[in-house]
Amino acid sequence: MSAVDRVFAPPSEPWRRVSPRLTSARRLVLVVTLTLVTVLVVAALTLPSLGGDEALIPTWIPAAVAAVGLVVGAWGWWLVGRRVRSYGYCERADDLLVTSGIMFRRLVIVPYGRMQLVDVTAGPLDRAFGITTVQLHTAAATSDAAIPGLPPDEAAALRDRLAAIGEQRSAGL
Amino acid sequence: MTETPALPVSATGPQRTHPTTVLVHVFRSVPVIVGVGVVVIAQSGGAVLSGLPVGRAVLFGALLLIAVAALVGIGGYLSWSRRFYHFDEAGDLRVDSGVITRTQRRLALSRLQSVDVTQPLLARLVGMAEIRVEVAGTGDSRVVLQYLTLTEAQRLRDEVLARAAGLRPDVGTAPQNVLVSVPTGDLGLSLLLSSTTLVGVLATAAIVALAVLTEGAVGLLGLLVTGGVPIFSAFGQFVRFFGFTVAESPDGLRLRSGLTSTQAQTVPPGRVHAIEYEQPLLWRYKDWVRVQLTVAGAASEENQQGAGTTGVLLPVAPREVAEAVVDRVLPGLAVADLEWTPAPARARLRAPIQWRLLATAADGRVFAARRGRLVRRLALVPHARTQSVHLTQGPWQRRLGLASVRLDIAPGPIDVRALHQDADAARSQADAQALRAKAARSSAGPDRWMSRPRTDAGLDGVS
Repeated sequence: MSAVDRVFAPPSEPWRRVSPRLTSARRLVLVVTLTLVTVLVVAALTLPSLGGDEALIPTWIPAAVAAVGLVVGAWGWWLVGRRVRSYGYCERADDLLVTSGIMFRRLVIVPYGRMQLVDVTAGPLDRAFGITTVQLHTAAATSDAAIPGLPPDEAAALRDRLAAIGEQRSAGL
Repeated sequence: MTETPALPVSATGPQRTHPTTVLVHVFRSVPVIVGVGVVVIAQSGGAVLSGLPVGRAVLFGALLLIAVAALVGIGGYLSWSRRFYHFDEAGDLRVDSGVITRTQRRLALSRLQSVDVTQPLLARLVGMAEIRVEVAGTGDSRVVLQYLTLTEAQRLRDEVLARAAGLRPDVGTAPQNVLVSVPTGDLGLSLLLSSTTLVGVLATAAIVALAVLTEGAVGLLGLLVTGGVPIFSAFGQFVRFFGFTVAESPDGLRLRSGLTSTQAQTVPPGRVHAIEYEQPLLWRYKDWVRVQLTVAGAASEENQQGAGTTGVLLPVAPREVAEAVVDRVLPGLAVADLEWTPAPARARLRAPIQWRLLATAADGRVFAARRGRLVRRLALVPHARTQSVHLTQGPWQRRLGLASVRLDIAPGPIDVRALHQDADAARSQADAQALRAKAARSSAGPDRWMSRPRTDAGLDGVS
């Protein structure tokens, strides 16, 4: 195990990873947004040249834009996969660990006694893909311990476990 | 939590704030109305007024002003006449308000975080004050009552504090014991020596030099910014922190200050979430420090405005004085005995300026982190106040085998970061801190602070 992995490794058992369906959902969003933007920009660049004999804007410019869109899309496709694989969480005896990020790695440790509420959210797209986000809130606005892409059953079970433990150990402020 | 005996309900029933409130609101709106009018006239290039004799125009403007002010007044009256406050059977403060949509807000005083009595300039001229009561909670967990007579505001504050402490509501004002008053001379000098001023002076000098060298006068316009901002900021702070006193009482800390508008904040015992010493470059030779504090609920968005809490425990004081005050706020910290772990020398490749100052420490009670070069900062957080722990590592840090630890605490002016520590040490620090936070929760005092045993009375013992 490399030194880097050691620093962000879970203490005993391996990280529980999130559903790969999160990758599909995020890739869909990526592709749709990027396609829309690219098509609009390309259209804006080609339409003025259509009527006349002489191209107002050289045709290589919209072509370059489309190419850039394609490259960014491919890069984003790959990045989304890596990012989603980097999410992980681990329930320990006294706290919950959440990790994420590849370039900028992050590990959040939330003691159960500090949890104030647990949010489970799923937007329309999330529901279509069968995933939910579990978010923990503490009295600190910066805690930001969100676990996206959990299957609904797992999310509900996690929420119930957290709520039960939080109830026992609530420390107030 | 101990069961609190039933406290008497307010004798008077629901009460309104003082009627003068409406007038104060109207007067406060006058500059805004005039401002909008001027902008409208300027936008239209004076077309609105063209053809009118000057006398007519002034008369027309005055009438319009009166009409709008009257509307503001009617709105203010409606909202004032439908705003009531009282203490309910459970001893909690309730405020009912709203003209069309009625809102009932109930503040659980057992979770009281702070009570402020402030007098904005205009209200102060007519002897009025506003009171704001903060309880712990995420989001909007405060109530502001505008305006009460100063005596009523103080009486209400005493009642809130007494009920929150678990005492009879009519015990009156707790005795207080002044710890520090900041001398006006020190305050003025410290602001002149502050970093903002310093940067302003340097930038001004640079611009003047540039203007002289290039013989171009345009750059001189920049002087308005470089000279104006520091003066404005220093003056604002001077007015706000004028006559700053820190006092302690059984109700907790009392912070008072203000030249034109005044504020008096009361922070009950055990509500302080973090403390930070801050020392700008030029304060070093006097060994002055500023002390900031974070109290849950007193969130930072309020700090931008004129009134309210500022998150400042001491605007300026010699180090020993500041440490004595901090010792009263968070007793028994023994900061001097902390064993610091400095950032490794390779951290200079990531933070070339401040790496020598970076260090972190923790003992049985408190987590401490030091950073900053031009402005040195030392943050202290009791373990019971740690909400969660972040460990982060960027790509460059990873190459160097470094990582940073951040403690998440209640929102406020203080950022607790142990930057660029050895990566393995940072991970163990983060794990250990989560355990310390968990262990510390059990020893926290009761919410109703006067209900604890007299021998363990904390701040009581010294007054």
